[in-house]
Amino acid sequence: MIILSSLPNKDAFFETIIYLISTYYNYFLMGIVYTLILSIVGTIGGFLISSVFTLVRTQEIDYIRQSRIKNTILRFLHSLIDIYINIFRGTPMMVQAMIFYYGLSRLQLDFWTPMVAGIFVVTLNTTAYLAEILRSGINGISKGQLEASRSLGFSHNQGMIYVVLPQAIRNSLPAITNEFIINLKDTSVLSVIGVTELFRATQLATAPNYRTTEGFFIAAMLYLLLTFFSSRIVNYIEKKLKSDVVKVAS
Amino acid sequence: MIILKVRDLYKKFNHQYVLKGINLDIYKGEVLSIIGSSGSGKTTLLRCLNLLENPNKGKIIYHKVDLVNSKIDINRHRMSIGMVFQQFNLFDHLSVMDNLILAPKKLFNKKKNILIREAMEKLTSIGMFEFKDRKVSNLSGGQKQRVAIARALMMNPDMILFDEPTSSLDPEMVGEVHGVIKSLSNTGITMVIVTHEMMFAKSISDRVAFMDKGKIIEIQDAKSLFDFPKEVRTKEFLKRFDNQITF
Repeated sequence: MIILSSLPNKDAFFETIIYLISTYYNYFLMGIVYTLILSIVGTIGGFLISSVFTLVRTQEIDYIRQSRIKNTILRFLHSLIDIYINIFRGTPMMVQAMIFYYGLSRLQLDFWTPMVAGIFVVTLNTTAYLAEILRSGINGISKGQLEASRSLGFSHNQGMIYVVLPQAIRNSLPAITNEFIINLKDTSVLSVIGVTELFRATQLATAPNYRTTEGFFIAAMLYLLLTFFSSRIVNYIEKKLKSDVVKVAS
Repeated sequence: MIILKVRDLYKKFNHQYVLKGINLDIYKGEVLSIIGSSGSGKTTLLRCLNLLENPNKGKIIYHKVDLVNSKIDINRHRMSIGMVFQQFNLFDHLSVMDNLILAPKKLFNKKKNILIREAMEKLTSIGMFEFKDRKVSNLSGGQKQRVAIARALMMNPDMILFDEPTSSLDPEMVGEVHGVIKSLSNTGITMVIVTHEMMFAKSISDRVAFMDKGKIIEIQDAKSLFDFPKEVRTKEFLKRFDNQITF
């Protein structure tokens, strides 16, 4: 590879790209790693929390067999989750990032770095979207599935965990993995709070030389590679999970 | 010996009563069929027996406890009351074998290899052994219903509720399911069957109950009810099936 030690001319597009890559490769690498961490942790974390939300949301309010207190608590939790989902789906992640990062920075917690705040925001945001995805997944499962499990003696939660959720998750897998691909791209908004994901890393790499077009051309290619290979890997995992979810319950 | 007692049971949906004061004794080991036209409340009654529907009023005494009482652990009692549904409701994400062993494995904490052996026996007895590793979605309706019966049997229930077990089957598959239910009736297990198949009800049941508009109009031993119904409404209802019952 040709190493260009000095900045090429302004009209030398490809030379500039080679220059930027060879000079700032560690920036781009760091950007890729951060973007991947944010998306992977955010999606998995969001999936786990949204599964719990879904379990809570499917709890029935039953005036005949449940105590008044339990019904009241359930109603409260249901509306709390609804409000949460509405807020997080109804506001831009960029705005959420600003509020959470700067808001909690006032507490002067040592661990509250931009990256931690970033993971936090992506997770909360993904939770809201996945909770809706899982809910429609559950709506797609026939009521008879839960009834059959209840008739065998499973509690509502056992029926959900062993019978309904595995099917709902299996049916929602394409939507869930799509959420991961979206996260790969959308974490770029976290640059506003200074998380050095791929977008911010590119800004840093082009700041000293003003070669913005070339720099972001590289970023675009890297995003494309990330999403392309991720969707391949995710498709593969999806296929494997589809056959494994069948075995999870047994 | 009475295994289950229903007393003054009421159930309403949207301000309309579907069950209006049901009294019923179910004896241990008997086969009781419930017949009646659509909307008479027979399926609702059956679903109340294991509390899949919560009655609005009344008692269901089973093993000396009132199932309607909200303090009791209904899940424990449901383990000994199997149910077979019209739409089979097999767990679509599992194989035939896993459908059978899921509940006893999780609820009784039994060892998997013991359960597999039990499941194989059950599957052999219903002629489904070679399908044990199939996904349930690949089975025919009749096969699904036979597996559903085996799944209920895996819990070693004291009684099984059948909710129109052959209503959603092609005519040629009805026989195989009836055959399995019939062979069960000889094992001494208590069975309550909601059905539209009069011939089947007559041939398999010890007693038959006729329901109309949320009430049990008449309950008698099978032969008497079909051959010498006492109530006018029962006669009218059975008239429609005249060609089916004479065999």
